[in-house]
Amino acid sequence: MEPPKMASPKSAPKDAQVMAQILKDMGITEYEPRVINQMLEFAYRYVTTILEDAKIYSSHAKKSSVDADDVRLAIQCRTDQSFTSPPPRDFLLDIARQKNQTPLPLIKPYSGPRLPPDRYCLTAPNYRLKSLQKKVSSSAGRITVPRLSVGAVSSRPSTPTLGTPSAQAVSVSAKVGTPVSLTGQRFTVQIPSSQAAVKSATPTTPTVQNVLINPSLIGPKNILITTNMVSSQNTASDSNPLKRKHEDEDDYDNL
Amino acid sequence: DRQTLVAVLQFLRRSNLRESEEILRREARLLGDDLGGSVATVASSSPGVAAVAAAPPGKGGARAGTAGSLPAAGGRDAGSQGSVAGVVVEDQPDVSAVLSAYNQQGDPTLYEEYYSGLKHFIECSLDCHRAELSQLFYPLFVHMYLELVYNQHESEAKSFFERFHGDQECYYQDDLRVLSSLTKKEHMKGNETMLDFRTSKFVLRISRDSYQLLKRHLQEKQNNQIWNIVQEHLYIDIFDGMPRSKQQIDAMVGSLAGEAKREANKAKVFFGLLKEPEFDVPLDDEDEEGENEEGKPKKKKPKKDSVGSKSKKQDPNAPPQNRIPLPELKDSDKLDKVMNMKEAARRVRLGPECLPSICFYTFLNAYQGLTAVDITDDSSMIVGGFADSTVRVWSVTPKKLRSVKTAADLSLIDKESDDVLERIMDEKTASELKILYGHSGPVYGTSFSPDRNYLLSCSEDGTVRLWSLQTFTCLVGYKGHNYPVWDTQFSPYGYYFVSGGHDRVARLWATDHYQPLRIFAGHLADVTCTRFHPNSNYIATGSADRTIRLWDVLNGNCVRIFTGHKGPIHSLAFSPNGRFLATGATDGRVLLWDIGHGLMVGELKGHTDTIYALRFSRDGEILASGSMDNTVRLWDAVKAFEDLETDDFTTATGHINLPENSQDLLLGTYMTKSTPVIHLHFTRRNLLLAAGAYSSQ
Repeated sequence: MEPPKMASPKSAPKDAQVMAQILKDMGITEYEPRVINQMLEFAYRYVTTILEDAKIYSSHAKKSSVDADDVRLAIQCRTDQSFTSPPPRDFLLDIARQKNQTPLPLIKPYSGPRLPPDRYCLTAPNYRLKSLQKKVSSSAGRITVPRLSVGAVSSRPSTPTLGTPSAQAVSVSAKVGTPVSLTGQRFTVQIPSSQAAVKSATPTTPTVQNVLINPSLIGPKNILITTNMVSSQNTASDSNPLKRKHEDEDDYDNL
Repeated sequence: DRQTLVAVLQFLRRSNLRESEEILRREARLLGDDLGGSVATVASSSPGVAAVAAAPPGKGGARAGTAGSLPAAGGRDAGSQGSVAGVVVEDQPDVSAVLSAYNQQGDPTLYEEYYSGLKHFIECSLDCHRAELSQLFYPLFVHMYLELVYNQHESEAKSFFERFHGDQECYYQDDLRVLSSLTKKEHMKGNETMLDFRTSKFVLRISRDSYQLLKRHLQEKQNNQIWNIVQEHLYIDIFDGMPRSKQQIDAMVGSLAGEAKREANKAKVFFGLLKEPEFDVPLDDEDEEGENEEGKPKKKKPKKDSVGSKSKKQDPNAPPQNRIPLPELKDSDKLDKVMNMKEAARRVRLGPECLPSICFYTFLNAYQGLTAVDITDDSSMIVGGFADSTVRVWSVTPKKLRSVKTAADLSLIDKESDDVLERIMDEKTASELKILYGHSGPVYGTSFSPDRNYLLSCSEDGTVRLWSLQTFTCLVGYKGHNYPVWDTQFSPYGYYFVSGGHDRVARLWATDHYQPLRIFAGHLADVTCTRFHPNSNYIATGSADRTIRLWDVLNGNCVRIFTGHKGPIHSLAFSPNGRFLATGATDGRVLLWDIGHGLMVGELKGHTDTIYALRFSRDGEILASGSMDNTVRLWDAVKAFEDLETDDFTTATGHINLPENSQDLLLGTYMTKSTPVIHLHFTRRNLLLAAGAYSSQ
């Protein structure tokens, strides 16, 4: 290995020399020259952050100048926030003892890919396609689905009621990476099985434009509405050419 | 107490605190200097003034008024309380001398004096005892230094360190360097390792004779300071028998917590292998009958079941089959086993005369970013984890990597056709390399599942990610460690996996639980390496505290502690028969351990830098080690493990006598030009694959 390129004492600024000396004291003999720059930058950033915090604390305490106590407090707060250290040993032994008491769970045979419940997986689609058309077409014979107003229109996480408010909330699984426009809102809807109620409710929700719900998801009692789905069921053949063609077969989570 | 008062009065007078002295005298109703025959000095509780006075030895007729227990022992009190010590002095001039002495110097004289007194004693002791008693130096040094720091005697601590740190053994140098940076009490708070060191007991194994010698000396010398530290912070595991030689001791010490207590290694460990399930194997060439039914012997087949073991008896050292729940064998697994067997039949028998060929996979243009490598069991895929947080999978065989078709296309294929497994793959996505994005930090560990469906990767961002190798997407992110995770591995039967990280614990997970099933806590420093035993019932963890621990999956207990390495452990390998464990660390030595007895049985010296890869050949005849010194070395494992002397004495006391046979066991050294070796893998036919990233320095 070629010798480390340390700045010669004559040309390096004093801070860099100090850093080089610190590295030497800690026994580090081989390092890239950019390490010193990185350490200098870290030291500068850390010290200025602490001093700024200390200034805030001292002005809050209505002191005329920053003193050691302010700096100490600033350091402590920053340490708890950024430079956390792993939990202490007795705590770890304690939780380990608790965790290790439960017997290992039995494995169900023939259960396909063994993954945690969907809300803990990253397998859900993390996007939705926005449909632009405003027509609310209810094809005959099909269950017309109430449409929800999604964040783009109103930012209230409203649970639209359809005559029968949802008594049993089925929460939408938290999708990782929900589209930005939604800002992580969730909706729970329970659609009663009676279609009449649904149909009657439909005209009362004219504000919905954006998200149409795939009626293939409607189960017997509860449905899980994912807000990031677009369905082509209720759109006529003038569907948005941008829409995917295979939405009917998309395998969304069925409950 | 009267003497205490007199001493305090003396002290106050010396410090010219006349008024206080008067008040105290009035209250105590003492008149004049009344020293009498003996005086005990007491230090006041102000920091910097607290002192422990050493008794000049050999003053006859003096009462042993020593009570030198520093209240900071145990390190739990806030701030420094007064320390009480007794000094036996004969007459006044001595008192004043002592008092003036400690006035100016305070603590360090006494600590340093104690330490140097002990040093002198040990150096003058008999040779046979000296090696054992020298073990005391390091823990005593560290504990005294930490006490000084904790009580905020900064300058005293510094001078104590300066004076004695050169005397310590060379393999403690790294620890001492860390210690030298701990100069204030606040520094200690952030350093978990040092706090753990302070609160846990350092284990020393000393023979009874040496121990008696030490005890007698400490108690008669009346400087109970050291005796108190010994009782408080050290655990002396006494054994009856011959004192150990320096060589024996050096082999076993080195960890952050001393050695392992003998009881720690006494639990029964089921190191045998699980019986393979019996199922009949269809013969390939003369396969007229096709699949045979179970249990029906055919006249062509010489063996009834080729996969399962023939003996019906349970191996006494093997765990019961259902000790821990294991996933059942699927059809694809059975096919895999058949393939495995066929390959095993064509396996090259290795030995000192027949060394394996080595095929090296060099990662180019990695710019020192390659941090983890794994190869599937059938050597068809290789994965690299990189510092830029990507995980890249390559196909080693001409068969390219394909992902499964989308759901739409899948509905169109003919599900009844014979090659449905081929048809579900999308040809358009075939490529030799797949890049998996998802982590937000360097990927430090990767592991393929035995059925090649999943890939695990663990990273500095604290998560372990499960990737599907059929869709090449990320399925789950397991969050539990909130600190960098250094290593992860799938169990040999799949479903379970273990991960170890900076938070000093290893966790056992199952792919279908989002929280860990077991937490293995006990190490004093980061867990750097985690491996499953071939029977999936035990997990070995190597740590930066220089110990290896073997944990039981069933109940999370630590069943073995192996000490002896002088640096953080970076590689572990179980022998295929499950009886032995090989470990490699930054000190360049490979140590071999007998799991059943819990003893070190071999030491392989030769490498000059950290050993990052260790692997036994498929039948356990050869141990291959790869290291940062750009070499792969092959060692004769059969010879290393034969003729183990495990008589009662050895197992009872844990003494080992390692033969210096590293040179005999070394079968070959293979150098790369400038590529450190970070992964080794024996194919099913005993071809050795090695992997590393080319570094141009």
